[in-house]
Amino acid sequence: MDFQLSTYYPIFLFVILIVGLAVSILIAAHVIGPRRKTPVKEMPYESGMDPIGSAKQRFDIKFYLIAILFLVFDVELLFLYPWAVSGYELFKGEAERLQTPIFWELLVFLVTLAVAYLYAWRRGVFKWR
Amino acid sequence: MSKLFQSFGLSAPLAGFLAAFIASFVLITFMLISAIFAVWLERKVAARIQDRLGPTRVGGKFGWLQTLADGLKLLCKEDLVPKDADHVLFRIGPYIALAGSFLAFIVLPFGSGVVPVDLNIAVFFMLAVMSTEIFGIILGGYGSGSKWAVFGAMREAAQIVSYEVPMAICVLVPVIVAGTMSLSIFGRQQSGVFWNWYVFHDPFTFGAFWTYFACATASCKRAPFDLAEAESELVAGFHTEYSGFRWLIFFMAEYGSMVAVSGIAILLFLGGWHTGLMPKPWAMDLSETFLGGLFGNVINVVVFIMKCYLLVFVMMWVRWTLPRLRIDQVMMTCLKYFLPISCFLLLGVSLWQVGLEPWTPWFKYVMAVTCVGLFIAMVVKIVLTPSTLPVAGLSGMWNAPAPKYDMARKS
Repeated sequence: MDFQLSTYYPIFLFVILIVGLAVSILIAAHVIGPRRKTPVKEMPYESGMDPIGSAKQRFDIKFYLIAILFLVFDVELLFLYPWAVSGYELFKGEAERLQTPIFWELLVFLVTLAVAYLYAWRRGVFKWR
Repeated sequence: MSKLFQSFGLSAPLAGFLAAFIASFVLITFMLISAIFAVWLERKVAARIQDRLGPTRVGGKFGWLQTLADGLKLLCKEDLVPKDADHVLFRIGPYIALAGSFLAFIVLPFGSGVVPVDLNIAVFFMLAVMSTEIFGIILGGYGSGSKWAVFGAMREAAQIVSYEVPMAICVLVPVIVAGTMSLSIFGRQQSGVFWNWYVFHDPFTFGAFWTYFACATASCKRAPFDLAEAESELVAGFHTEYSGFRWLIFFMAEYGSMVAVSGIAILLFLGGWHTGLMPKPWAMDLSETFLGGLFGNVINVVVFIMKCYLLVFVMMWVRWTLPRLRIDQVMMTCLKYFLPISCFLLLGVSLWQVGLEPWTPWFKYVMAVTCVGLFIAMVVKIVLTPSTLPVAGLSGMWNAPAPKYDMARKS
């Protein structure tokens, strides 16, 4: 199947409808609901205490490590999806299936990834400190 | 449906627009009703598991309208934006979450041909779109300007980002078997008796189903992985500052994505809209058989929705049975176990496709019969086991006879 943008028009319409529904409900809530602002009510909730400092602080470094790991594996996945769809269709019916280069290609790819994974493990990326 | 409108003499773009509009309308209605129903079901299931009754008053004996009443109440609540919050982020967060979660449904086939937009990359589209829900949660949590919300959002980001990867690899496993990413073709390929379902195809798809389901539970931030809104640690996590209907939108998004991941699991592994009882040569597809298209399609849709809710029920069951994990446990379960396991399953299924495919027929019969047998045995056992009643005389029980104290000796 070739790509046609018109296939995606209903999806755009659907997004607009969903957001429109949410906006209209919130407008209704705005009209119906009461609005009585008090200074205490507008404070960020901190279990009844007055908030100490700002909430916009720096994040821990471990979250960045997770994000970098995610990038590695996500790029891998992007490669694997087209491979998974077309890889075994080409070779259906061949006698020597184990010889198919497409399988060895995957193996090489996964081994490369496994080396990186083991390296990360040894370096202590997977320790939650 | 577009063709139907064109036959009335409408131009092609207008007919397409009308068809898309009607499909969207039906889909949104379905999802709102299913969110309401899922919330009600969750409360009932939770109550039953905890030996309570749950909602019983509003709308009859079973409290059918409890959720609707709650929704109306929330509509009348004050819509608060805290002063420290980033107003733009705080406001757009719920929209993105809702759009991301509900948009996934538009490529989900509810029956043979009963699909609003039949994409050839439907699986990929659903995974991609559902992972945009996280943006809404991060924006909402970070924009709230409350520490609880920021912690919740960060945990959620780390968790979903990690669980995306094994989940997507597990989705690849049936994709390799089927050789397509179109969910409608997935459904059609699994027609016939239940051993044609891909979960029984080989040991690797069987493992992939369970891994997928665990990862999907985590990516819907359901317990035991609900670190983002851990009530006992983070007040309410990322939606601490949200109130009224804005909060309810996050809630609807969560229930929507629960049904969506269950739908993917059903279509990829559990035979889609097929009942699994019809032999293959007898009925390729219910919609093409005896009672004509419409009736068959209605049955397909009903079967599909019931299967979806079965998986949603299992998610609820798990939530109210298991205690919550710690954040390091959650992250390390993913990185140290689910990720290698899913890579192994991927390797295994490609090996199976390349060399071991002749084993598929006997394996799937054995596997399917064993699994269904175990399932039936479990149901029979549950039904036959007498429901627990307080046993008199057991120490510590509430109606046990009071132990006799020797008052004289004590004083």
